[in-house]
Amino acid sequence: MRRWLTGPVGAMVLVLALMSLAMIVAGTSPVDGFRALIVGALGGRNEIGETLVATSALLFPSLGVALAFRAGLFNIGAEGQLLIGALLAGAAGAQMHNAPWIAIVTMLVLGAIGGGVWGAIAGFMRARFGASEIISTLMLNFVAADFALALVNGPLKGPLATGAETAWLVPQYWMPTLLPQTRLSIGILIAIAIAIVLQWVLSRTVFGFELRACGDAPEAARRSGINIGRLTWIALSLSGAIAGVGGATIVAGELHRFNTQLSPGYGFTAIAVALVGDLQPLWICVAAFGFGILESGGLAMQAAAQVPKDAIHVIEGLIILVLAARRYVATRAEGTV
Amino acid sequence: MSGIFGALIVLTLIKATPLIYAALGGVISERSGVVNIALEGMMATGAFTAVIVSYASHSALAGLLAAVLAGALVGLVLAIAATRFKVDQIVAGMGINLICSGAAAYGLVLIFNQPGASAQVPALGRQYWLLVLLAFALAVALQWVLQRTPWGLRVRACGENPRAAAAAGIDPLALRMWAVTYSGMLAALGGAFLSIGELNLYSDGMTAGRGFIALAAVIFGRWNPLGAAGAALVFGFFEALQYVLQGRIAWLPADAMQALPYLAALFALAGITGRVRAPASDGVPY
Repeated sequence: MRRWLTGPVGAMVLVLALMSLAMIVAGTSPVDGFRALIVGALGGRNEIGETLVATSALLFPSLGVALAFRAGLFNIGAEGQLLIGALLAGAAGAQMHNAPWIAIVTMLVLGAIGGGVWGAIAGFMRARFGASEIISTLMLNFVAADFALALVNGPLKGPLATGAETAWLVPQYWMPTLLPQTRLSIGILIAIAIAIVLQWVLSRTVFGFELRACGDAPEAARRSGINIGRLTWIALSLSGAIAGVGGATIVAGELHRFNTQLSPGYGFTAIAVALVGDLQPLWICVAAFGFGILESGGLAMQAAAQVPKDAIHVIEGLIILVLAARRYVATRAEGTV
Repeated sequence: MSGIFGALIVLTLIKATPLIYAALGGVISERSGVVNIALEGMMATGAFTAVIVSYASHSALAGLLAAVLAGALVGLVLAIAATRFKVDQIVAGMGINLICSGAAAYGLVLIFNQPGASAQVPALGRQYWLLVLLAFALAVALQWVLQRTPWGLRVRACGENPRAAAAAGIDPLALRMWAVTYSGMLAALGGAFLSIGELNLYSDGMTAGRGFIALAAVIFGRWNPLGAAGAALVFGFFEALQYVLQGRIAWLPADAMQALPYLAALFALAGITGRVRAPASDGVPY
């Protein structure tokens, strides 16, 4: 009980309190503000669809971040991994001439490969050279953004695109819609399936046990014969692959082409989502829905309560700061920042 | 050709300066035993505060001083979290980064009524060369303080073995608190250099990962002020090179060239880690 009060539940109470405070400061009643938020996020078919679109987009990177976290690794590069996954999916989808299901599966697989390779670079650097994955994953975000921009301003730019965008996917290659008349695709089902598998892997398999051992007691893990270097790059590759699939679902499911602005920081919000979900995949699904409501209802709240949407990032940061009081991983080995 | 090389040297000094300030902040914090992932947020805070105070007071110098104070405040938040509450320093640092960048974005809307970037404000002008010189002077001074003064010895003792330091009559918590606060002031000064030194405005994301490049410089410089400043110069050189090369190499698009400083930091990190040793209690709550 105490763990929940000082953790996710306490964090949600804190969010509500801080948002109320922000609204009072801005001169509106919190009741009106929250009503606007809820109506904006859940008030109709379209609103619910948009909330679930945001939930899905957040869920993928959050699961990736949590997987790495459980292995004692801080992946703050989910943003870049998601972007590279989306880029590969968008680039391939715009060029293909296959049956629709082959094209969609190819895009998802390429998304996983792109994100996975981006995570693997950091994993390899950590395992082989001991380079801090905190710094390398963050650096790789910028490298990903710059490369994506160079490609969509150059060879991958769509023939009719005005901005930094690839060509449109043909409608046959769009992922099937889950909720008719909304943008919600079946991508969210893939995210939930990954969450279920991940929960099982972490709690019921030898691999999951070894991952957790690396995070909770690296010295004991090493002495019991677990190859920490190998697990490090596998964990970061898988973490990146999950974020990358997420990027591919955004392209194939909602946007139907790649553009460099497709993520408003999902990879960073994912850190807050993973922590609020207590690093447990199934709870992360619940947390992602909560943040999805903030993400999609935020605009309505902004209009009604005069609280800018950017304030939500302050709230996310405060949640992370408060949850930092809990121990997630063992103290890191020397020389790893 | 000499024109290009001259430009490259000048630009290297300018681009390295904010990195030097942040890296010195990283050194002082980590030598005392607190990992400072929040350098990025502290830089953003400094950059933003400098702009709003310069805007309100029409004095860039006031903006600079306010930035240092704001950096101290953010440093104090991390310091208290790390010492009194013994939080996971890396998670706390990531939280502080989000708070700082989010608050600045919020502030742009509140104060300038526009998202994305501020209005133009009074900047330091030619005086910013003094800040460049100050960065190098501070590197030398901090090296001397850490290696040659009693306070420096205490900082290093707390970073290596806080229990032993405590047995010798030092209060590691108080010492770390000061060290992290100074760290925030230095990083914020680097941020202010970005906004009212090089430019005359704040825009969202303008720190662009420099706090993390500075962390790489700390490691590359083996946790020594002079080493970290030297590494910051190297990374500053690659950032400058990127500008100088733009448009000169036809087959390499400018967008891709912007990745140069980040790639340099990545390669440096891979090359040096494993051959260097962090302070023994770096990141371990006391």
